[in-house]
Amino acid sequence: MTNQDIKIEEIDYKDFSASGKEKWVRLLKFYFLPAWRNPEFTAYENEIEKIKSKRRSFRRLLTPLTIVGFFMILFIVILAVYGPWLTDIPLQEVTMPYVPPDGVAFQEPSPEHPLGTTLYGYDVYARIIWGARTSIGMAFIPVTISMMGGIIVGTISAYAGGAVDYTIMRFVDLMFVFPMFILTLILIPLIGRELMTILIIFGILGIPGNIRFMRTMVLLVKEMVFVRAAKTGGALKFKVMFTHIVPNAISPLILAFFSGAAGTVIGLAGLAFLGLGDPTAATWGVDIDWGRLRLLTGIWASITPGIFIGITAAGFMLLGDGFRDALDPRFHK
Amino acid sequence: MARQAKNMVKYIIKRIIIMFPMLLLALIVTWILSHMMLVDPILNKIGFDNPELLELERIRTGYYDPWFVKLGIYLKNFFTGDWGESYAIYPGKSVLAFIGEVFPKTIELMIIPTLVAPFIAVKLGATAAKNKDKKKDSIIRFVAIIGAGFPVFWFATVVQISFGLYIPLFTNGQLQLPVLLTNSPGSSLPGPIDGFSTGFRIIDSIIYNDQAFLWDTILHLILPTISMVFISLSGLTRLTRATMLEVLDQDYIRTARAKGVEEDAVINKHALRNTLLPSSDKIIGGILGALLGSLFVEMSFNYQGFGYYFTQAIFQGDYYVINGFAVFSIIITLLGTLIADVAYTIIDPRITYK
Repeated sequence: MTNQDIKIEEIDYKDFSASGKEKWVRLLKFYFLPAWRNPEFTAYENEIEKIKSKRRSFRRLLTPLTIVGFFMILFIVILAVYGPWLTDIPLQEVTMPYVPPDGVAFQEPSPEHPLGTTLYGYDVYARIIWGARTSIGMAFIPVTISMMGGIIVGTISAYAGGAVDYTIMRFVDLMFVFPMFILTLILIPLIGRELMTILIIFGILGIPGNIRFMRTMVLLVKEMVFVRAAKTGGALKFKVMFTHIVPNAISPLILAFFSGAAGTVIGLAGLAFLGLGDPTAATWGVDIDWGRLRLLTGIWASITPGIFIGITAAGFMLLGDGFRDALDPRFHK
Repeated sequence: MARQAKNMVKYIIKRIIIMFPMLLLALIVTWILSHMMLVDPILNKIGFDNPELLELERIRTGYYDPWFVKLGIYLKNFFTGDWGESYAIYPGKSVLAFIGEVFPKTIELMIIPTLVAPFIAVKLGATAAKNKDKKKDSIIRFVAIIGAGFPVFWFATVVQISFGLYIPLFTNGQLQLPVLLTNSPGSSLPGPIDGFSTGFRIIDSIIYNDQAFLWDTILHLILPTISMVFISLSGLTRLTRATMLEVLDQDYIRTARAKGVEEDAVINKHALRNTLLPSSDKIIGGILGALLGSLFVEMSFNYQGFGYYFTQAIFQGDYYVINGFAVFSIIITLLGTLIADVAYTIIDPRITYK
């Protein structure tokens, strides 16, 4: 095919620009005629669009499953943000220290309680909506903590090499020997059962995995030519590490970010299911545990919160998969 | 070939030697953790009403000793096989005997998912990769995401409800599976109490020729197995699909197709073998991870296995049991990583150790 990239400087804008009285006419038209576009700018925009085909890189993101994931997360975020408009039961009435005075436990769905009630008479619908706030708001905190720690320590370890690298890797191996979840189970009754404490513990326990992950990527990127070029150019070690290596090594971590968010949601729900969660926060996992008391009669109390946990976690995973597929450099379609 | 074998033996020996200091460090960390737990087993045994006896017991068992003495006694006890006694769950039962009773039940639970799930998952992942971006791929990916996203305990609850409530409703009460929800209380051990027992209920029932017990055990195992299989399927399917997509881009696949090899043989012989390499690492590691991670399934079904008693011990603060179980999990994890690495060397002939 012919060479189609037209440089911007080659366009003769004199065809489109105006001078003298034409300029003032165009100015008046711009102010008084609605949706009138200056032909000069339109020509400019057309040329830019021909060169920078931004549709293609955005288009790669829009596979059907990623759209499904995006809408799942959008649904949960709408529930979380527009909470008070969707239900008129405030947060204090669905968590522990408050017991509704006329609540009947495990009712069927009725016009008053659209999805039935759970133990002590809390409304399931309201608990789901307030639980959405907790889950979405708190899902990214442990992932951020573990990613920050993992990126920094991993880069330092892989870049330094030698003894530093060896000791850090032995330490990470030691951390890996413990089953992480059992460590959380043991640590949480010791340290405290507040929500933030649980999230920080999750974050800290996720650091060794990220260290190992980041270190493999940095070991690959470290041998590339541009790193050597930067070092010969005299860049400081710190600058080389964090401005050259990290942006190139970070692509698999985007998937890990979203998977980590999904894992946090499920992990929080799991802890709440076992009974170790925060008793004053409305998490979804506790509902599943309560619902098991009346398994044969009140099924909606236990199944519905689980569906929402699943939607959140699956949505995060689908988004992560979609981002990874779109940013994959081997995608040569 | 012989040189490679010799190298591998040296590698295995080196790994085993490194395992011991790591085990020691892990023991020290668990000891520190359990000492932070502020429970007093002697107080539990004696009670509040006899302070002099309490003090004597404490001095005798070393409550007031400095920390290195306690640590030394702990390590010596660990290596000689005295892991303490449980005082809250089964008062008086030694922890090692407890593990020997309880762990085979978890192995029974995990055996079918870990043997069956990889086969199904690899097949599904290969199909999904072959028809990328078509309908089959989307369906398989969607089901895999559901299995990976929805929590295990929710799935267990759904399975319980649908099999326990709806099937009798559906068949008008004709099909009653009475053992669906919990362990039936009448499941006593076959054979005499002090007789030879391996701990595995299925093997025991075969040894003692007890048909009813065997059938009872199998019925109790159906539902947890279904939940576990579904959940482990999804993770493995996603991994196989991703690896297979990478493999199908390689040049040797193109060569095989250009040579005229049939499409089935290209996939099943050339592509699949290379796909299994990274997956096998995760599969074998996942077997041993599943043994420890069956916590949720056991809690949902009240199945009294390893994870169930572990959580009960954590809730009731049973110091020796928590310590013993945690150390046991660490030993299993170490052995598991070793086996996975060695198996990876065997499966992939390109990896050599110098």
